[in-house]
Amino acid sequence: MVSQEWPAAEQPDCPEPAGDPGPVTGSDQIDLGASDSNAGPGERLGVYVCHCGGNISDVVDVDHVADVLSREEGVTIARHVAFMCSDEGQQKITEDIKELKLDRVIVAACTPSLHETTFRKAVIRAGMNPYLFLPANIREQVSWAHPHDTKAATDKAVSIVRAAVGKSRLLEPLQAVRVDAVHRILVVGAGVAGLRAALDTAAMGQAVTLIEKSPFLGGRSMMLGTVYPTDEPAVPLVRRLIDEVMADERIEVRTCTRLTALTGFLGDFSVTLTTEPRGVDAALTDAAAAMAACPTIVPDEFQAALTTRKAFYKPHPEAVPELPAIDWANCTRCGECVLAAGAGIEIDGVPEDEVIEVGAVIVATGYDHYEPAEGEYGYKTSERVITLPQLERLLDPEGPTAGKLLIDGTTPRSVAFIHCVGSRQIAGVDEPKPGCELNEYCSRVCCTATLQATNEVRRRLPDTAVYDLYRDIRTYQKEQERYYVQASKLGVRFLRFDEMSRPQVLPADPGDDYPLIVRVTDTLTFGAELEVPADLVVLGVGMEPRDVSDIVDMTKNPVGNDGFLLEVHPKLRPVETAIPGIYLAGASQGPKDITESTSSASAASVKAATVLAKDYVEMEPFVARVDLSRCTGAGTCVEVCQYDGAISMTEVEVEEGVFAAKAYVNPVACVGCGACVAACASEAIDVQGWEMDQYRAMIDALTSSPPEAVAVEVPA
Amino acid sequence: MTDVATSAVLESATRPTRMLVIATLLCSYPGIDATGQAHMEYPPNTYVIPTPDPVMFPESFYLYCFERGVDAILIASCGTDSPYKGSFDQLAKQIDRTYALMRARDIDIRRLKLTAICSVCTKAFIKEIADMEKVLDDLGPIGPIGPVGPAADDPAAEVAA
Amino acid sequence: MSTAVPQANDYDVLVVGGGIAGLQTALDLADRGRKVLIVEKEPSIGGKMIALSKVFPTMDCASCITTPRMSSAAHHDNVDIWVYSEVDQLQPSDGGGFDATITRKATYVDEDVCIGCRLCEYACPVDVPHEFEGNMGVRRAVYIPFGTAIPQNAIINADDCIFCGKCEKVCPTTPTAIDFAQLPRTEQLHFDAAVLATGYQTTPVDAKAEYHGEASNVIGGLDMERLLSPNGPYGRVLRPSDGKIPDRVAYVQCAGSRDETLGVPYCSRVCCMYAIKQAMLLAGALPLADITIYYMDIRAFGKGYEQFYQTARAMGIEFVKAKVARIDEEADGDLKLRIERMEGDGSVDEPLHDLVVLSVGMRPGTDPRSFVGVDLDSDGFIAPADPKLDTTLTRMPGLFATGTAIGPKDIVDSVVEASAAAAKVEGYLAVTTGPRTQRAKPFVSVREMGPDELAAAGVLEEVHHG
Repeated sequence: MVSQEWPAAEQPDCPEPAGDPGPVTGSDQIDLGASDSNAGPGERLGVYVCHCGGNISDVVDVDHVADVLSREEGVTIARHVAFMCSDEGQQKITEDIKELKLDRVIVAACTPSLHETTFRKAVIRAGMNPYLFLPANIREQVSWAHPHDTKAATDKAVSIVRAAVGKSRLLEPLQAVRVDAVHRILVVGAGVAGLRAALDTAAMGQAVTLIEKSPFLGGRSMMLGTVYPTDEPAVPLVRRLIDEVMADERIEVRTCTRLTALTGFLGDFSVTLTTEPRGVDAALTDAAAAMAACPTIVPDEFQAALTTRKAFYKPHPEAVPELPAIDWANCTRCGECVLAAGAGIEIDGVPEDEVIEVGAVIVATGYDHYEPAEGEYGYKTSERVITLPQLERLLDPEGPTAGKLLIDGTTPRSVAFIHCVGSRQIAGVDEPKPGCELNEYCSRVCCTATLQATNEVRRRLPDTAVYDLYRDIRTYQKEQERYYVQASKLGVRFLRFDEMSRPQVLPADPGDDYPLIVRVTDTLTFGAELEVPADLVVLGVGMEPRDVSDIVDMTKNPVGNDGFLLEVHPKLRPVETAIPGIYLAGASQGPKDITESTSSASAASVKAATVLAKDYVEMEPFVARVDLSRCTGAGTCVEVCQYDGAISMTEVEVEEGVFAAKAYVNPVACVGCGACVAACASEAIDVQGWEMDQYRAMIDALTSSPPEAVAVEVPA
Repeated sequence: MTDVATSAVLESATRPTRMLVIATLLCSYPGIDATGQAHMEYPPNTYVIPTPDPVMFPESFYLYCFERGVDAILIASCGTDSPYKGSFDQLAKQIDRTYALMRARDIDIRRLKLTAICSVCTKAFIKEIADMEKVLDDLGPIGPIGPVGPAADDPAAEVAA
Repeated sequence: MSTAVPQANDYDVLVVGGGIAGLQTALDLADRGRKVLIVEKEPSIGGKMIALSKVFPTMDCASCITTPRMSSAAHHDNVDIWVYSEVDQLQPSDGGGFDATITRKATYVDEDVCIGCRLCEYACPVDVPHEFEGNMGVRRAVYIPFGTAIPQNAIINADDCIFCGKCEKVCPTTPTAIDFAQLPRTEQLHFDAAVLATGYQTTPVDAKAEYHGEASNVIGGLDMERLLSPNGPYGRVLRPSDGKIPDRVAYVQCAGSRDETLGVPYCSRVCCMYAIKQAMLLAGALPLADITIYYMDIRAFGKGYEQFYQTARAMGIEFVKAKVARIDEEADGDLKLRIERMEGDGSVDEPLHDLVVLSVGMRPGTDPRSFVGVDLDSDGFIAPADPKLDTTLTRMPGLFATGTAIGPKDIVDSVVEASAAAAKVEGYLAVTTGPRTQRAKPFVSVREMGPDELAAAGVLEEVHHG
């Protein structure tokens, strides 16, 4: 739960001051304000004006500034010092805090971006809450900006320091927001990104629960045949990750499991995991008999639906876990497998829910291949039009044809590849699938994957003509350009269609030599309309966002216009979401290849593991705070807030037995933008450290005259 | 109105003008620093106050500033680079509402301007200041705030009053 | 020069390079409690990114994104930064980790005393072309590298300095920060792990003789970044030869990428997007200008990039699929391009432009082999040991690489990979030295573990052979 405590390491070593402040020393001392030993908070201020070795003092009369400020109400000491950032300057502050019992420190010097941290650390050393220090910028914004008007610059410096003094009186000690951290991370999805994320977070000392909705690990990468640019087989590559995960005792793997509910926040989420029974246990001895007995035949998704499998199935010999599983969506619960196998199969199981606590969640839910609409480039209207993932299965020695590229039992004489199917779609040129938006984005991986396939076909079948119909070849990554160069050397024939035109896949006239023709306006040959004869057409389909609407509903994490999960900022926080504690890995965020997916998974893991590295999660205190006595429960703050869960209305017992709706700020979800502050008509909400009464005090100081000088000789 | 405010208004006829610059911490504040670092000069009647996001200021805050004798306010936001979701659109709406309140009080709306200043936008900052100085040359110091017009039923206006 | 015996564990991790990738890796590690030293060869951190105008596809102001990162690193308790410093040697040490020899070059300014006030810079009588501004602006012999530099300390470039002593006279600090007697300092330190974030350099504009990069109105992509930057050398877009406002700007894509004749067969990944971005910014800055991009393939592959490209097309930026065979300078400074169209009628044309931007590609930055025995790929970038599953591992245990040191990459991908490198370093250190908080000294080196222990600990396979 949320607690607000002083960080143990920074516990002030001296108690809140009381009693006589004692004598004041110091050569730069100007004046000693009221030594009221009963001063309340914000009534013992120390003001320090830096010369910056002439950078300020050549323009601003620092002596005058300190003099004026020394007469401000509540100012105990006002000094001007040659270099406030020097050890000597910092020491002045720490000594004064201790000896004069200062309770606020204002340093008028350079921009806070240079030395705010320096002075915060200095006041901490003297036992003061760091948020009781305020900077006043009189170098970048005064002496350097107005070097030719020393009078005006000095007056401006006075005003700026007086504004800081006005604000500082109203400061309150703030404490970092702390949340107890649960040292377990949930990774959703066990494709390459999820596997990598699980391994890396575990390596950083966090326990991991890795869930996978299907009965087997590895995701789509297992289907790739060979991967670019290393040309290594995909299955052993992914198995390396899987085997490491299975061997890592810090990682708990749950297959057949979905995330079905999520509550809580960074550091402490409650997640509901719903596990379907696998239907098969270790007692199974005769899997082959069970599989043979199963009468239900469905398309085999591992083979890109080119062949079929049973409802009792194991997608391929290398699948992990080794035990087969029952595909409940298709199982008729006829019991034939139970009869055939004798033991180890249970078809009456029901899904079970378990709620576990985790500190953070990494979403690695992956992507779907674009599935062309029926008739799109002849897909499904001709059996000779297939997708690239299907071709990859046909080229794979573990595939349904044991790696032989056969169409209708014969070797194709001519294969035409079409790029950008379902990607880079343009309104007016491409038709969205019914009920879908256009996919305007580039899918990033298909150019190289297509060229890898064109080259493979040319190598294996040198007598087969290969045509590549493209818009732009995007072999952008290290070593990818090689495939493009090789394709030309291998005799792949490139034809380029324009942004605004698309090839057409048409059945050939009866009696023609080839069953299909692909008609394309080729910009590479003067815009000639060419007809490519083809035995086989391969559609270079892109990636689509997977339906993760359930996760979106649960986490309230937005999706982008492209339908993929959205990061906070592509450069500043590329694997973090708007929901603290929820991170993105792999293609759930947008098209990525294996290299890019594992890289983003590692990045997500370091973010998640770091935020949980201590026993608590600690955050800056600059978040909204509600004054319950003023809150009328109108709820405008909740309406205006753009951050889900940051503000909510809760019933609060205002008097004994009397409840009223009041705003509640979750400091973990609040980002401190202050949109709620402006919206609240009752001035009941403020951002800590940036409060409206503090701003008004600054305006009062800026628009009023400083106190009159008293007729006292002041040492220079 | 308090005594401080009254006195500020009373001296208004002759006093020098004051411009408040509300500077967003992420973009504009460093941009204004960069202007100083480059020793690019601008008039010293400009007072910069930092904020995480100007979206936090209610309309009443701007009226408060004018009442106290701030003659012009330049809001230096991050524009569409705002790190906070939806904040720039929200801010633009708030400024529109503030303009309505200003008109109702007979305050020239040129005294308030929303702009975007990035962390290296030194020239843009100088130009914005110069533009606003011209407005101030034209309008002079702000006088006593005029009687409240039809917008008085606005809740924000009540808070300010 | 220090000859002290290397001290054990001065820092946990060395990050070589203070660009956006190095900074991100350092920050991620520092947030985990590791003590990190960033060694940067330039006088400021920030790398190439801090010099950019805006960044695609969000059109964020580059410095607004970079400066907070720079500042976070500078103020982080667990991060130290040595600018103007170079690693001379990085050697696996017997007890595990690395022994490093690092030279802090003489800046002739005491960084502990300098307050960054620039009085010396104003007093200095020497003007030399400013590298940060693509040599278009000038700087002094003593100077702060650029406005948002971190640290804000002056340095004296001894090659430019005439030793007139004016800077010393105006320096307001006591003692003066100017120190003409300063010598390079050589430090010897021990690290448990090291990350190479040595970045890239761009292909020189004169790399391809046919393009006449020496012509003053033929500039590189990074130069245009400075012209477009709000704090750039001229404050607006002018062509260098005569200050004319250009109205026919050409972009030549793949100038130094995908070009076997230059030994750069690979795609540099960023040039299409930065050309499109610059073209859009130019269209805003110079509404009357015609902007043409000559390209082979437009590679807008990242998230939101294709949409960005289509927006540029809709804005009227002209995209011409053509090879640019040569560029010749005319008497008036205009440039005649000889283009061979790769579409339409395939004609050869000779359009005139008044400013040509070569979309120069990325080459490896500092060659890390000058100080460490790391393997490079044939393209000259650092070879990843496991390119599909662990891009940031090198073949040397404990040595990692990230960002454009491994290969061309945009900022998004570099930042992600930088965090990935931090994860890998952490995973490595968790095994070799233990988690930071429960660290026991002396630690057990991986080298002292037997194969079984290594396997049990899940140490990277390479360690066995290391």
